Amino acid sequence: MAHIHLGEGSFPLWALVLWTLIGAGLISAIVYRIRNGGIKTRQIALAGIGAAASFAVFQLNIPVWGGIHMNLTGLVGILAGPLLGGLIALVVNIFSAALGHGAVGLLGANTLVNATEAIIAYYAFKALMGMDWDVFPASASAATLGLSAGAVLMGAIIVISGVNGSALPRGDLTIAVAGLVGLNLGVAVIEGILTGFVVQFLASVRPDLVGLTDQETREESTGVTA
Amino acid sequence: MTTLSNHVPDPRLITAFAERRDGPLHRVNPWTKVGIVGALVLAVTVFDHVVLLAGLYGVVLAAYGLAGLPYRRLAGWYTLPLLFIVSVAGPLAFLEPGTPIGGALSTPVGELSVTWSGLVLLCELSFRSLTVVTFTLAASMTTKYTAVAYMLGRLLPRPIDQVALLTYRFTFVMVETLEDLVKAVLTRGANLSEFWSNRRLYARILGMTMLSAIEQSERLVKSMEARGYDGDITLYGDVSRPPLRELLVVVGSYAVVVGYAAVSVTGVGL
Repeated sequence: MAHIHLGEGSFPLWALVLWTLIGAGLISAIVYRIRNGGIKTRQIALAGIGAAASFAVFQLNIPVWGGIHMNLTGLVGILAGPLLGGLIALVVNIFSAALGHGAVGLLGANTLVNATEAIIAYYAFKALMGMDWDVFPASASAATLGLSAGAVLMGAIIVISGVNGSALPRGDLTIAVAGLVGLNLGVAVIEGILTGFVVQFLASVRPDLVGLTDQETREESTGVTA
Repeated sequence: MTTLSNHVPDPRLITAFAERRDGPLHRVNPWTKVGIVGALVLAVTVFDHVVLLAGLYGVVLAAYGLAGLPYRRLAGWYTLPLLFIVSVAGPLAFLEPGTPIGGALSTPVGELSVTWSGLVLLCELSFRSLTVVTFTLAASMTTKYTAVAYMLGRLLPRPIDQVALLTYRFTFVMVETLEDLVKAVLTRGANLSEFWSNRRLYARILGMTMLSAIEQSERLVKSMEARGYDGDITLYGDVSRPPLRELLVVVGSYAVVVGYAAVSVTGVGL
């Protein structure tokens, strides 16, 4: 999960307002779509507990490059879909900001980045599965693609906004941010592979979760075996 | 040995501080704390002097200590915010135009040096970030669960409030689930210190966490519907309006920040 790797107050006020408005616009569109479609209790519960799991997973230290933390945003997108994935991204960012990770003022920008990851991962996974890819390569590629898009968007947001108090021209700032984006792309590949294994595991125990069988069928068969 | 990270604040510990301790900040109205967070975000965005930012950070750090909260834990929790700052501001410290500190180092791609402006920028970004990180942590550690739940329900539109309330409720369960899974594999002799050779084990731990979450959500749906859930999770708590003196502090904070911004824009020096 890429983040704006700058703390509070790092963007000028106009940028803070701009990204907050764009983030709010995206979330408003998602809420509008969800309300129009008629939200089901199942979706609320899945989004709530999915966000809790994503937030909890962040507590685990993965021993790569001295230790990295992941929210598995790509996985959330694949499992929950683009609309709930966007809401989960917002809620996880709110809770993360309350614990000092990610900035309160950058909620809009961070939600934009993470929702993009979830949305792209979902549609890429659907497209690849539609092309008869196996679960592992499809989910690993989809998550990597989503997370890479998030990393590039994060870099773009920093370059467009500029850094508060810096006299550096945009060209030099782009060079400085490129290193960070490169590092995030590396993490995206690792998180993508991990997502692939997780989806493969989930598909082996609950194929309905990744759309390999119909949920209704599973519920019926569970009723018989139980 | 890999366990849950101590660089990330454990929500259970944060909530325990809020529920079981009693300090001056515990007695401050939760809405006041939300107001102060907003004022601080605005302040660190518009303040542009390193001394001013350092002073603001000092005040917040002192408030954290006066609230009876642990500095040692805070130092550990600073790891990730500082890593984030250094990952971007570190290169900027070298690229920022200005006078080099202690001369420049010749490299094949040109001269490399940290400039005074770069160092000041690094300090400014650190103070800006840590000021808000410290206060949000202090606010989280001094606001009770029911008050946080009530404010989430009031501040967020539906259905985001419902999702956030369930997330808040189940975060503690999911952290324990994850911790139990990690303990279980470690007890069975697994070594999680190397990622690549244990990638499938990590995937199982994370997969089981997600599966547990999904299955809990499925059970939850049944209990919610059995109780007649109609899109509203009833909140039994209440957070009263802040008293007048706290309201004045919040309004005063915003007035100072907006006043500073106005003075800066009109070009009048401090």
